Amino acid sequence: MLSQSTHIAIESRKMDVKYINPFIESARNVFGTMLDCPIKRDGISLKNSTSPTYEVSAVIGLSGKVCGSVVFSLSRPVALGIVKRMLDLDTDQINADVADAIGELTNMIAGGAKASFAQYSMSLGLPNVIIGRNHLVLFPGTVHPLCVHFQTPWGPMALEVGLDTRSVDVQTTVQTAQTQSV
Amino acid sequence: MKLLLVDDSGTMRTIQKRCFLQLGVQEKNIAEAANGQAALEKFALGNFDAVVTDWNMPVMDGLTLLKEIRKTDKAVPVIMVTTESERSRVVAAIHEGVSDYLVKPFTIDTLKEKFKRWVPAETL
Repeated sequence: MLSQSTHIAIESRKMDVKYINPFIESARNVFGTMLDCPIKRDGISLKNSTSPTYEVSAVIGLSGKVCGSVVFSLSRPVALGIVKRMLDLDTDQINADVADAIGELTNMIAGGAKASFAQYSMSLGLPNVIIGRNHLVLFPGTVHPLCVHFQTPWGPMALEVGLDTRSVDVQTTVQTAQTQSV
Repeated sequence: MKLLLVDDSGTMRTIQKRCFLQLGVQEKNIAEAANGQAALEKFALGNFDAVVTDWNMPVMDGLTLLKEIRKTDKAVPVIMVTTESERSRVVAAIHEGVSDYLVKPFTIDTLKEKFKRWVPAETL
């Protein structure tokens, strides 16, 4: 989990870490439960590129008072390792079965995180899995995504989260100001 | 014990099937369907002891499948598989006669505990 003291200096809009922690916790839970596989958070960075970190991307859109996208970015060895563990399927091809498994995993991670955002009436889209080097995933222009890096037994992976929280943050600011003025 | 597993994700059907095989259910007694309509057709022909269904599926979703099953069979256990975020929708399913729900991710032990309520203990 990221502590409140974690500061990430960015030029544009800063995303509060409270929006990231549910995704980290959910990823740990999903990997631990479905794959019996601990994952270790290995750093966090600002995402300054439109290219996902690795060649397999599972993208889920989020809508509601908090909206944006979550991208689960995996290297090929990690994707194949997950499928082997999840389905006992030995393959060296990133095929439809692999895409389905990665999409389902991403759906569980996002679904688990969404529970922490119940007050924001958030809806999840269906995961889309994109495969291949040099593909682009564009986040909403109003956000500066964060990239949470993990280590798995099969190699590195990343969770890229870009959420527009302005409507919620403004509401909170207004409520705080109203409370202080009383 | 005869089971019907309903999910548009082949991954989830495989995971569930593997769990039930590990719990001792025979493979010939596990049927699968990729959507609610296909499940309904199989349900009409089979004599299933329980149905495990996803919620979001093309052609016919899990809630509609539940409603259709309950038109002819009030007793068969129907277990809805959901993500944590969909728990509130389970309330809607309860009104339509869902028996229980299983939140994913889940372990084989969680699945076994859920099913102990609905099938004979010696079956699992």
